[in-house]
Amino acid sequence: MSAPSLVTPAPAPPPVPAPPGVVERLIAIVGDKNVIREPVDLRTYECDALTSFRAAPSVVVLPASTEEVAAAVRVAVEAGMPIVPRGAGTGLSGGALPVPGCMLLGLSRMKQILEVDLDNGWIRVQPGVINLDVSKEISAAGYYYAPDPSSQSVCTIGGNVAENSGGAHCLKYGFTVNHVRGVRMVTASGDVVDIGGPVLDPPGYDLLGVVVGSEGTLGIVTEVVLRILRKPEATRTLFATFPSTTEGGNCVSEIIGAGIIPAAIEMMDRLAIQAAVAATGVDWPDVGAALLMDVDGCTAEAEHTANVAVSIARRTGALEVRVPKSDDERTLMWKGRKSAFAAMGRLAPNYIVQDGVIPRNDIARVLAEIARLSQERGLRVANVFHAGDGNLHPLVLYDARVPGQEHAAEELAGEILRICIRYGGSITGEHGVGADKAPYMAEMFSDADLDTMAKVRCAFDPATSFNPSKVFPTPRLCGDRPGPYRPHATELAGLADRG
Amino acid sequence: MTAAAASLDALAAARQERPATLAEATEVLKRTAHDDERVLFLGGGTELSVGAPPAAVDVVLATERLERIVEHAPLDQIVTVEAGVRLGSLQDLLARSGQMLALDAPWAARATLGGLVATNAFGPLRTRYGSIRDLIIGISIVRADGTEARAGGKVVKNVAGFDLPKLMVGSLGTLGFIATVTFRLHPRPESARSVLFADLDAEGVRRVVLVLREAQLEPGAVAALVHEGGDDLGVRFDGRFELGVRFEGFEAGVRQQSMKLLDLATRQGWGAESLGAEIARAFWARHDDARESPAGFRAKLAAQPMDLERVANGAIGSLFTALEVPRCVCYPTLGLAFVAGEVRVPGQVAAAVNAARDAVPEGSVVVHAAPPEVRGAVDVWGPPPAALPLMRAVKDRLDPGRRLAPGRFVGGL
Repeated sequence: MSAPSLVTPAPAPPPVPAPPGVVERLIAIVGDKNVIREPVDLRTYECDALTSFRAAPSVVVLPASTEEVAAAVRVAVEAGMPIVPRGAGTGLSGGALPVPGCMLLGLSRMKQILEVDLDNGWIRVQPGVINLDVSKEISAAGYYYAPDPSSQSVCTIGGNVAENSGGAHCLKYGFTVNHVRGVRMVTASGDVVDIGGPVLDPPGYDLLGVVVGSEGTLGIVTEVVLRILRKPEATRTLFATFPSTTEGGNCVSEIIGAGIIPAAIEMMDRLAIQAAVAATGVDWPDVGAALLMDVDGCTAEAEHTANVAVSIARRTGALEVRVPKSDDERTLMWKGRKSAFAAMGRLAPNYIVQDGVIPRNDIARVLAEIARLSQERGLRVANVFHAGDGNLHPLVLYDARVPGQEHAAEELAGEILRICIRYGGSITGEHGVGADKAPYMAEMFSDADLDTMAKVRCAFDPATSFNPSKVFPTPRLCGDRPGPYRPHATELAGLADRG
Repeated sequence: MTAAAASLDALAAARQERPATLAEATEVLKRTAHDDERVLFLGGGTELSVGAPPAAVDVVLATERLERIVEHAPLDQIVTVEAGVRLGSLQDLLARSGQMLALDAPWAARATLGGLVATNAFGPLRTRYGSIRDLIIGISIVRADGTEARAGGKVVKNVAGFDLPKLMVGSLGTLGFIATVTFRLHPRPESARSVLFADLDAEGVRRVVLVLREAQLEPGAVAALVHEGGDDLGVRFDGRFELGVRFEGFEAGVRQQSMKLLDLATRQGWGAESLGAEIARAFWARHDDARESPAGFRAKLAAQPMDLERVANGAIGSLFTALEVPRCVCYPTLGLAFVAGEVRVPGQVAAAVNAARDAVPEGSVVVHAAPPEVRGAVDVWGPPPAALPLMRAVKDRLDPGRRLAPGRFVGGL
């Protein structure tokens, strides 16, 4: 997947007009200015942060309430239009990529924080609320919302729910799915249903578990109840440099082996360090690898684990270990890490970022394979990764102006995903499958696995109206809805009854 | 063991299948699909009474011989087990690597991992580590039609495809046969220390929960037992709790946190003491007894943590009045509690269940064990959830013939 590039990708073909009457009906629901239908205005919505995939929607609707979403969904379903939801459009897998002829539901106007209950530990928000704004709302009271994707200052909660977003701190605190208590959702029939809520363990199937991370294929989430946490008493940050990622990887393994669960533990290789230095001005040396780590908890525990980690880093060959002396210094260190993707623009005109996951203990072996591929193909690969959970973000650098290089970069990126699959890992740790990695799903999962997931999708959305052509490698139709329950022969014969 | 025994009698007539391999288990399911037979999955049999009794069962598929540890990768902190592996034996194995599955559900010696997943079982460690849905990272199932399928994987961070492992948690064997499960593991804590509040009312327990949070304390386990305010006439509910708070982790942190809590308790005038290892063990053993001792009736209560007074007076109080030898374990940071006891007058117990439901309208009271007379008078699941139509659709897609434990789940699924 190509990121912001100097070469503007070819624009999408012109939009397919919406069926007659649809625009008028949508205007009646959300008002004229919230129905975008001029081709030039629709251009804004033809991709998300994965800009190499583009398609124009037929119409964009910007609802402000659950009722408006439900009414718009009914209009689209009746007209046979696919429905593609979109948050801030920061996704890296093309999850919000329009499908030709679709109604794109932009949820950015739904940005109200509806209810805060600190004592019971939750907050109810609309899907267009920015991730970081949740923490800002409750920060003064000493609380925060844990999942922290690098795009957290711009990405929305609705998008986070769709993608099951992670972030640097999910090693200890979990992903979006571990922090969503309930959702209000508009179904494919245009009904509004509450799944879960503030109280734990509601009777019934854990539908919430599949809705979170379903990439907009099961319904349109219009309210979310999020778990919020008390800030930890203390956080200690540690920055250590190593001759190579091998020593860095050993250090990570030993820290985890010592029974420490760092709040975050991030590794960057030489190219990634150079890019971060160029972009943010952090004074990091030119070394083979760097680790950035947070430990947190009560003061005594944070101190203890930080000390143990420092001694492990020294023992495993650290060239230098730094502990920030101020909050400002700590913030700058994290800024260096979080800006790593954007910083790649300093090293090459274009890059493809991958999101593969491998078992943590195989990091050194996998990095060696990536390095070998990089040499063979003559393309540089920078590595930034969440080392604690084996989530790699290899960045394949290229120049689209050089004929053939984009294609070569795409091939190399694909082979990296195959390596992850071969090591028993995953093609995506936090960015989602979307349109981009859907073809690789068939390499990670069997037909039967995908068929089982498709059955669940069909249970929610038998006409596959919601975000078709995402997640699944080949278009799937649900076929006839299975018939209603028919009593078993023994029941009819009176041998058994249904209790 | 009334209700469970009743349904077990019905099961005795069913054909028993005890596959020794996953391939054999798949064969059993293919055959039952072909012959249109109804199937019940059986693990350790510790939670068979949960849910409504299945309408009919032709085949019982027992997992007792599926007890292989498929993979334990200590460095990656994951384990994959077959469904029939017992929790206790898994923990013994993991302890040798200094690790644990952060799940301390009751009946560890008997309960199987497949069954624990199917029933969404938990213990006090849920306070810190979350429930099974937070620990499970992969699953392989055999569908009702005999198709093997898997979802998730063996890496903790993975968003490829739908999170079907979570869908299977708590599904009581009504969506498919759980063949193997992969969990993330945690390091065994170096040290643990408990602080006991011997006598608090519900408001006091609730305030301790707030103080823990305010003081940024991070306990591994918090549990309250209903104070044994009984006399010769038996145990009655006097609204008093005994509260245990356990800190776990590195010794330095454990010491700091327990000292801090004792200090805060002293300032509030709550009688609290830091327990020596022996006394602490005794408290947690009392907790385990209250969860594990056989009971004719058991219910799980869920509400918001700050509604504890309403839960105590309305729900726990009503059930205590109706039950013989009642007992209660409460997890006040989670808003969850279990009440158990014996049934003498079924009508009174049924009425108490309804009263408990009225007391926590936004929560739930699910009956996990009860004699047929009580089950006849109340729906064990309570009012149907708003999302029942979607749940029914999921069931229809995965088990269209309604052959997997038919009628056991919510809404007759």
